Amino acid sequence: MAVETILVVDDEEAIVRLLSMSLRSDGYSTLTASDGAEAFELVKEKSPDLVITDIKMPRMDGLELLKTIKEYDPDMEVIIVTGHGDIDSTITALQYGASDFINKPVRDEALSIALARAKEKIEIREKLAEYTLDLEEKVKMATEVIRRRANFQQLLIRSSNDGIVAFDSNWKIVVFNPEAARIFEQKASDVLNKMTVDELCPESMAQIFKSDIAGDDEKNLRLPWEETIFRINDNTIPVRFSRSVLHEKGEMVGSVVFFQDLTEIKKLEKDLLQSERLAAVGQTVSGLAHYIKNILIGLKGGSYVVDVGLKKDDTNKLKEGWRTIKKNIERSSDLVQNLLTYSKEREPEKTNCFPNEVVSDVITLVKDYAKENNIEVTPILDDSIGEVVIDPDTLHRSLLNLVSNGIDACLDDENIDKDWEITVRTFKEADRVIGFEVRDNGSGMDDDTKAKLFSPFFSSKGGKGTGLGLMVTSKMIEEHKGTIDIDSTLGKGTAFTIRLPYQTVTGE
Amino acid sequence: MSKKVLVVDDDPDVRTFVITVLEENQYTPLVAQDGIEGMEKIETENPDLVILDVLMPRGSGIRLYRSLKTDERYKTLPVIMLTGIALRSFLKSQKVLAEFKGGEVPIPDVYLEKPVEPEDLVEAIQKKLG
Repeated sequence: MAVETILVVDDEEAIVRLLSMSLRSDGYSTLTASDGAEAFELVKEKSPDLVITDIKMPRMDGLELLKTIKEYDPDMEVIIVTGHGDIDSTITALQYGASDFINKPVRDEALSIALARAKEKIEIREKLAEYTLDLEEKVKMATEVIRRRANFQQLLIRSSNDGIVAFDSNWKIVVFNPEAARIFEQKASDVLNKMTVDELCPESMAQIFKSDIAGDDEKNLRLPWEETIFRINDNTIPVRFSRSVLHEKGEMVGSVVFFQDLTEIKKLEKDLLQSERLAAVGQTVSGLAHYIKNILIGLKGGSYVVDVGLKKDDTNKLKEGWRTIKKNIERSSDLVQNLLTYSKEREPEKTNCFPNEVVSDVITLVKDYAKENNIEVTPILDDSIGEVVIDPDTLHRSLLNLVSNGIDACLDDENIDKDWEITVRTFKEADRVIGFEVRDNGSGMDDDTKAKLFSPFFSSKGGKGTGLGLMVTSKMIEEHKGTIDIDSTLGKGTAFTIRLPYQTVTGE
Repeated sequence: MSKKVLVVDDDPDVRTFVITVLEENQYTPLVAQDGIEGMEKIETENPDLVILDVLMPRGSGIRLYRSLKTDERYKTLPVIMLTGIALRSFLKSQKVLAEFKGGEVPIPDVYLEKPVEPEDLVEAIQKKLG
């Protein structure tokens, strides 16, 4: 709102008229009054934008009017017209809040300067008022948006199917959503701002979180981990968790971890594995039938040869027949044992043992047979491997299977110029893992064979194999939470590497 | 002179058994461990009959059988299949091969499934060799 109406107050009518004329010619509309009382009535009635008043007037003088107006409307601009040297009045007017002063006699130039100043003041004030109002509105809107966003985020965290736990930079827990409360079986009110990471999580897990902050391996951060959480009431829950470090302006302000309850998934995985295994056993019936027929013809043929030996009193025939029968009895018992091992769940029976000794035992078992076929079997043992806690049966059977496969691979090798050899190497790896490598320089495998190697009842040995050996081995290794890897080149040989996690004898 | 019978089988137990059966019935046994060795023996020894396994690691019986039946020299050489594979599966493999490579081959003269009774084996051999 600009200045439009000006009230001119003076007891001298000539001055009032003159001033009004001058102002009107500048485009303002004017009101006039001859004393303070009359002027104040007009102020109340017409709300002029500006008042120009003389000081000396009857009834109510200019200073009194100024005071009254300022009490009535502190924002109204009042310009005082003073005589020369009237210092006292000027000071009083200033104290009362006059906007400006014009000396008598009023000259147009001085008037227009005072007017311009007053106008500017009014405009600034109006703008300020506008800004303030606007600002208040904006703050209100922003607050509402922030509130809604915060609510939304709160809701998001609360209703997440992942357990969300966030820590501040001192590892105090600052976010703990209902799913987290369910997973940890802890009330949010007992945890929030009270517990630290060490009090909530297992030590190994807390260690991982803390190393996130120290390390800058971004890639590692994103890899989800699986671990078991032990809860207060002694039951456990398998979880997968992924985590991130929170930064603000380049500074670490905390970290957040997302937990997924794997109970159901683990159960499904187990069911699936079991049903796959049963299906595999079903599938095998035809593959197995072939193998069993071979055993049967061995037994039948063997007895025929024994009969002939008896009839003719031929010891050689007797021996030959009897050897055949014995071998096939062995084959059927192996088959039954493998089938049982494969189709059933089996928990590794961990106990104290010396892995290097297991390797030596296995080599002793096969050495003579290998030697007969010009195959050298050599152990390369890491002597630093002492007594550890693993399942020796898993190790023994797996190694025996792999070494026997190695011997078969050498027997199957068409390159008879080679000096066939099989090495069994033991080695230690970080994180409580022992490795066993069984390497042969026999026939090797093509990619097709490699791909089918662990599939049920696949055998590359014609009628000689059941296709169960490697499957049983890989299943046992899996149950021991270990891994088995293969590296093979056709014509060059094959290396299988087993890695088994172990516990130390002292239970550390 | 007694007739020569070649046994092609990767299983030593089967070889021992069939050799004994052959000896007991006054035939001269020849042996080969796989299809490739089998073909070599056929070319060098000229047997009167072949007893052939189907599944062997090197040069399967299926391949050897096909080579014989498509070779003018050995087309009429009698073959007894002796295998753990069911006849149905064997015939199917022949059909697939015929479509793939072209050229039908006659089905085997005698097809014996393991485990075979010695009497049945002898009977089959005698029938073929007279």
